[in-house]
Amino acid sequence: MTLRLRSGQAFSWTRVAALARKDARELMRNPGAVIPAILMVFGSLFPMFLVVFLVPMIMGQTLEQSGEFAEEAANAVGRIPELAGLSGNALIQTFLFHQFSLLLLLVPIVSGTALATHAVIGEKQSKALEPLLATPISTIELLAAKTLTPFLFALGLTWAAVSVALVGAITVGEPGVWRSIVGPRLFLLFGLLGPLVELASLQVSVIVSSRTSDPRSAQQLTALLILPVTIAFVAQLMGLMIVGPRAILLGAAGCVILNAILAWLGVQVFQRESILTRWT
Amino acid sequence: MVIAEHLTRTFDGRVAVRDVSLSVHAGEIVALLGPNGAGKTTTMRMLAGLILPDAGRVSIDGVEVNEATAARARGSVGLLTEAPGLWERLPVHLNLLTYARLQGVADPVASVDEALSHVELSDRATEIAGKLSKGLKQRVAIARALIHKPRVLLLDEPTSGLDPATARHIRDLILGLRSEGRAILVSTHNLGEAEELADRVAVLKTELLALDTPAALRQSRSGGRVVIELAGGERRELEIANTGEIPAIVARLVGEGARIVRVTPDQRSLEDVYLDLVGAGR
Repeated sequence: MTLRLRSGQAFSWTRVAALARKDARELMRNPGAVIPAILMVFGSLFPMFLVVFLVPMIMGQTLEQSGEFAEEAANAVGRIPELAGLSGNALIQTFLFHQFSLLLLLVPIVSGTALATHAVIGEKQSKALEPLLATPISTIELLAAKTLTPFLFALGLTWAAVSVALVGAITVGEPGVWRSIVGPRLFLLFGLLGPLVELASLQVSVIVSSRTSDPRSAQQLTALLILPVTIAFVAQLMGLMIVGPRAILLGAAGCVILNAILAWLGVQVFQRESILTRWT
Repeated sequence: MVIAEHLTRTFDGRVAVRDVSLSVHAGEIVALLGPNGAGKTTTMRMLAGLILPDAGRVSIDGVEVNEATAARARGSVGLLTEAPGLWERLPVHLNLLTYARLQGVADPVASVDEALSHVELSDRATEIAGKLSKGLKQRVAIARALIHKPRVLLLDEPTSGLDPATARHIRDLILGLRSEGRAILVSTHNLGEAEELADRVAVLKTELLALDTPAALRQSRSGGRVVIELAGGERRELEIANTGEIPAIVARLVGEGARIVRVTPDQRSLEDVYLDLVGAGR
């Protein structure tokens, strides 16, 4: 089906899907793009598993017994609804899952960036843009296709990371911990804010990639998006703020506005003539 | 089939192409010659509906190319870009299948098979594009340009950097495409190739300097001289306005008792003509 947008450009899902499928096949054959994205899943999970399970296991003491984080967890009971009704080791584990879950938001940003920069710069490096633009594809379809594959890949990786964290909580955690984790906050964090943050990082990646021919320089610039998430993580860890459902919704609203601005910018950058004369 | 009238295109204040008019008809090959930066690629891109001219008009198969019809125009033209531009990690057939889908052909798989068979690469369909030789990549790129069965082909330096045997193969392929009734515009730096392939030659240097058959171009630029060799080794060079004067000169010399061995009009090569036209002649 082909739609005609207000700008006069055509939008056909058939063409978007054709190019996105091609990008997916290329990514699967590009370890340089896929391995860093997968490593990010392990990187974001590691601190959580280290603190919650590995250190107590190595020390032979539960978190409750060692007294680590007991005070912080107790202080957070009134401020974090998920902690209500929990005590002892279960309380501390749930508190730490709550804290470290923000780190999993780095997966869509870093993985999406790694995949998107390769999707755009790969076309430039192989000089495939001109023959591609010589087809009836519109620039908006090109932009959508270049965003779609990295978006789905990185979203899949994010949800895989969340699933691994949950499986850890179910299998190694105290009884009741996973039930406390699975709730509105988790769904808002990874069902709403995660995809929106990812979309923003992808759009930045695509825009930056259009101005450089090296995936690493594009990735370095888009890494700036990691900063707000890291600040929120550290601030939460220091007890300065709680990233609960309200903060997540506010963040999501901000991301919607940011994405709208980036989409407009992306369409400006993805002009057929400027791609042909400056990119190729 | 392809008509360009008074095309002008400027980039950032620099005129790339000025007032260029040319046409390519069904079953005809026109070679586009010109030095680097002469505007050949810009002209090709305008004819392919990739960029629009600032002034002038392009029509393909009777349809004028403008912002609203450019996508349709791109679907009716096969463009071979200067670099093959293949997706090197993917097999040949997946490269072509994606283009068949982007072009919206009815049966993408059948189109891929047909295009591969056209360039005699059916047995290479599953090979990774990046592992092919330069010549084979060029043939895949030609198959890609043919995937939607366009009646107009725009080929930007199709044999550039290829070994003589592969270049010969590509030229034969192009001649075969002409015999199928396609209109073909070939941009090239190879004057021998232009002479061999083209029904007409266009010489471009921002403006169109000439457009005619290779023979007519040579004739029109022949240097106004005729060399007459006489018995005994004597040789005379006479200035003439055109080759039509030669019979009268020969008749006069014979009348004067001269024994003529050979009469040679100053027949210049296409290369001489080209270099004169673009201002790089000796």
